[in-house]
Amino acid sequence: MTGNQRIGDLLREFAPQVLGVLVRRHGQFDACEDAVQEALLAAAMQWPGEGVPERPRSWLLTVASRALVDAWRADSARRRRETAAALGAAGHPPLADLTTGLADPGRDDTLALLFLCCHPALSPPSQLALTLRAVGGLTTAQIAAAFLVPEATIAKRIVRAKQRIRDAGARFELPDQLQAAERLGIVMQVLYLVFNEGYTTSSGPALQRTDLIAEAIRLSRLLHRLLPGEAEVAGLLALMLLTDARRAARTGTDGRIVPLADQQRHLWDTEAIAEGQAILTRTLGTGPVGPYQLQAAIAALHDEAPTAEATDWPQILALYDVLTTVAPGPVVTLSRAVALAHVHGPRAGLALLGTLGADERMAHTHRLEAVRAHLLEQTGNAAAARDSYLRAAKMTASMPEQRYLELRAARLHHPTPTPGPVG
Amino acid sequence: MKYMIMMFGGLGAAIQDRSPEWIVSMHELLMKLDTELKESGECVASESLADPGQAKTVRFSGGAPVPTDGPFAEVKESLAGYWILEVDEERALQIASQVVAYTEYPMEVRRIMDHSAQP
Repeated sequence: MTGNQRIGDLLREFAPQVLGVLVRRHGQFDACEDAVQEALLAAAMQWPGEGVPERPRSWLLTVASRALVDAWRADSARRRRETAAALGAAGHPPLADLTTGLADPGRDDTLALLFLCCHPALSPPSQLALTLRAVGGLTTAQIAAAFLVPEATIAKRIVRAKQRIRDAGARFELPDQLQAAERLGIVMQVLYLVFNEGYTTSSGPALQRTDLIAEAIRLSRLLHRLLPGEAEVAGLLALMLLTDARRAARTGTDGRIVPLADQQRHLWDTEAIAEGQAILTRTLGTGPVGPYQLQAAIAALHDEAPTAEATDWPQILALYDVLTTVAPGPVVTLSRAVALAHVHGPRAGLALLGTLGADERMAHTHRLEAVRAHLLEQTGNAAAARDSYLRAAKMTASMPEQRYLELRAARLHHPTPTPGPVG
Repeated sequence: MKYMIMMFGGLGAAIQDRSPEWIVSMHELLMKLDTELKESGECVASESLADPGQAKTVRFSGGAPVPTDGPFAEVKESLAGYWILEVDEERALQIASQVVAYTEYPMEVRRIMDHSAQP
């Protein structure tokens, strides 16, 4: 690990802790968050050259506190100019008070921070951006690069998100038990979105997308550590590990998508698979089975198969049956149709797909048509399969998907000539 | 000066009858060119648009804007993708020619208006 990498890891570990201490002391989440961001930037500039300070957390807290006081002073100076009112920064504690002692070390405010950043008043893009900055300790520039949008866009999104939190009167505390389950659901959804953002889109510089995956896994690990008894949190972490384990095999050297059945399984990350399986084994049966655990169990079955042919499809189908009752939806039905086709033949899968045709939620995605095309190809109906692939290719907004689907269609139109008998 | 090189929807239709090898080579050519233009600093922006079948057109109808399905132009004339390049005309034409030589499908090269008063 390089020195800069170690510093990056340290900063991201301390970011939510320092922010937690500041917010607990002063309230004003938005001002504190800005101050911590300033401290992180200062550390990223100074530490590589001057070395990591002996007590890095205190260093960050001191610098963030100064930044907060400076902001208050600037604020009150502006107010003074504007109103010509008397001097007085009363109410703000003196600098010495700010830096003495940290909050009791047993207390971790990260969970409260996560709940605040994933406040239901915020739109999902805002929840994502704010979580990555305030809890993940990423800079605005890093987040912008990962989402392939201009830095100003993310900066504005974060400012607006913090305004909304203030307007909603949200407090920095753990929600009561009744609310907590719902809020935890949103937190998990946000982390899963961060993961998917990194995993499903292969557009843009691959390295930056990979950072999003790493960050989603890191934050899920953190959440799992804070809430070890929550089976779905464990399921979410296992799902990410078991899915990400296949990343290296998922795209060809030229960026082309390689479907699961054609992947070179020796490229899969056996360590991540083992860890995901271990978490899942520990978790299943300890709490109510939810969609993350079920999806993780399905991913584990794929990961366990030494070849595509050896996949335990009957077991996967059984899990999709449970998933259909726990969390029904068109996407689950679509995946279940694939499993059904493997167990009972492509016609059984196609019959199930027929029930999705009228579903509004499927009208604007290429996935239904893409699955239909694959199943039609398996039945030997090349002409219908080709039309279906081309329809799917027109519907997708993903370049790699489109290339993949166009190629499948072209293959059916120009079959690779099979060599005839020699002689 | 800036130029926009435009690709049109008809290329997608033309792809349907090509072999997998031809399609793979075409994507390789486009990706290589795109990377070269970005690395040389000539590329200001480049994007591909989703199929015009997914497009909507907002028309003023009955005294109000009304979104309707489908693109404004015919699909084959509809914009499918573009490069915005910081180059002179000669270079822009040379780049477009490289692609057209392979796809045999036309591309449009057009000057982008200057924001400054003195061009």
